[in-house]
Amino acid sequence: MHNVASDREVEPKREPGKERKLIGDRGDFFLNKIQGEAGVNISACYQCERCTNACPVSHYMDIKPHQAMRYIQLGWREELLKSSTIWVCLSCEMCTTYCPNEVDVAETINHLRNMAAHSSITPKYKSLAIFHQTFLDVLITSGKVNEFRLMSAYYSKPDILKEKMKEGTLKEEILLGMALLRKGRLKLYTPRSRAIKELQKVDR
Amino acid sequence: MKLSFYPGCSLEGMANDYARSIIAVFMELEIELIEIEDWSCCGATAAHSISESMSVLLPARNLAAAEKLGLDIVSPCAMCFNRLRFSQQMIRKRLFDIPWPVTGDIQVHDMTRFFAEPLMITSIKKRLLKPLSGLKVVCYYGCQMVRPPKITGYTDYENPQTLDHIVAAAGAEVIDWSYKSTCCGASIGIARREIRESLTSRILQKAEQAGAEAIVVSCPLCQSNLDIFQKDRPKRRIPVFYFTELLRLGFNQIGDPHWFKMHFTDPVPLLKTKGLL
Repeated sequence: MHNVASDREVEPKREPGKERKLIGDRGDFFLNKIQGEAGVNISACYQCERCTNACPVSHYMDIKPHQAMRYIQLGWREELLKSSTIWVCLSCEMCTTYCPNEVDVAETINHLRNMAAHSSITPKYKSLAIFHQTFLDVLITSGKVNEFRLMSAYYSKPDILKEKMKEGTLKEEILLGMALLRKGRLKLYTPRSRAIKELQKVDR
Repeated sequence: MKLSFYPGCSLEGMANDYARSIIAVFMELEIELIEIEDWSCCGATAAHSISESMSVLLPARNLAAAEKLGLDIVSPCAMCFNRLRFSQQMIRKRLFDIPWPVTGDIQVHDMTRFFAEPLMITSIKKRLLKPLSGLKVVCYYGCQMVRPPKITGYTDYENPQTLDHIVAAAGAEVIDWSYKSTCCGASIGIARREIRESLTSRILQKAEQAGAEAIVVSCPLCQSNLDIFQKDRPKRRIPVFYFTELLRLGFNQIGDPHWFKMHFTDPVPLLKTKGLL
């Protein structure tokens, strides 16, 4: 009988994007790198899926938390950084809390998000990446985060404006902002912290 | 008794009613709060998501200021509490260069746990003038206050009890339910509304099923999220209280009569039927 599995040449051609990836085609370099940087023992993951079952938003993710751990073990970096998983994660720490092997899944996903933010890969959910960046920008320029300053900076980003126009929710958001103002929940001005210079020095 | 107070950004804006009720309650209990001088933001989810070093350095600055005062910190916001504790652990591991003198040795209290100490509970009971009898509530803790247990130090993270004890001490009827620490999705709410809506509506629905007339929270983000979400609901609205607001009612301190106006879900009819206002 012809042994297909051992014969490389008869490997069937697959559609682009569906090519079979070899396991460990980058060795364990990526795994070791993430384990070292995040301080998480990802090798301990044995795919029990407790993290995915505990996750409140796993159905919005394209790569489920337990799969993400496996992807790291296999060294599939681009797939992870392109995924929606890293941006959808709420950091609610359910996965970390319930992992039987004490793998800090939330911290790992957070580390991947850090990597994605500093890479050239376009994030799947741009709005979330922009939101986090805007939050930090406001923080650095005023030391504290005022909701009004944050929201006006966020909505004046061209990508966000475009997205909101497409969804048709812009009017609703503005009305909500007005309602918050009327209720006295949105302060147009709050004192800045004197820490701005100190913070700008540490911002790396 | 003296404590240093780290209010956090929300308490200056969205949750300024929370800040006022906290100050009133601490005054009533004769505990002096000293606001950390020139505090800055803890970085919240954003710093954590984008730069690890910022997520340690931003809270470290406030920890250093509190250490200068030599007083334990009490933090009303779940997110700030979580970030301060996280930063403290990283400081002790000495993995980051911190430009401020900080050892990470002072205690960071989460406000609910501080109030749930037996000493504080007796002190609350002693000062109670108007027990909140007949008010059926569920307590909602949210995620950042209890998880991950390694950082927050909660041992009963599956069924936390601190808020339950406090509200029960104020005389309310506390109902047990299963969604105490399920995430409400507030952190993602601005960028991805549909995800927040699915999470929040489930929490509200379960609170209704449990037979609650009000939800008690301690996190400013949870409050605004659960409260504002009900804005467009025609009926069956559940008021969402900060626990300090209920304590203030129990101490019979009405204070500013417009104080409840900041809630989207008007709690006044409920409080009137219970004879609390």
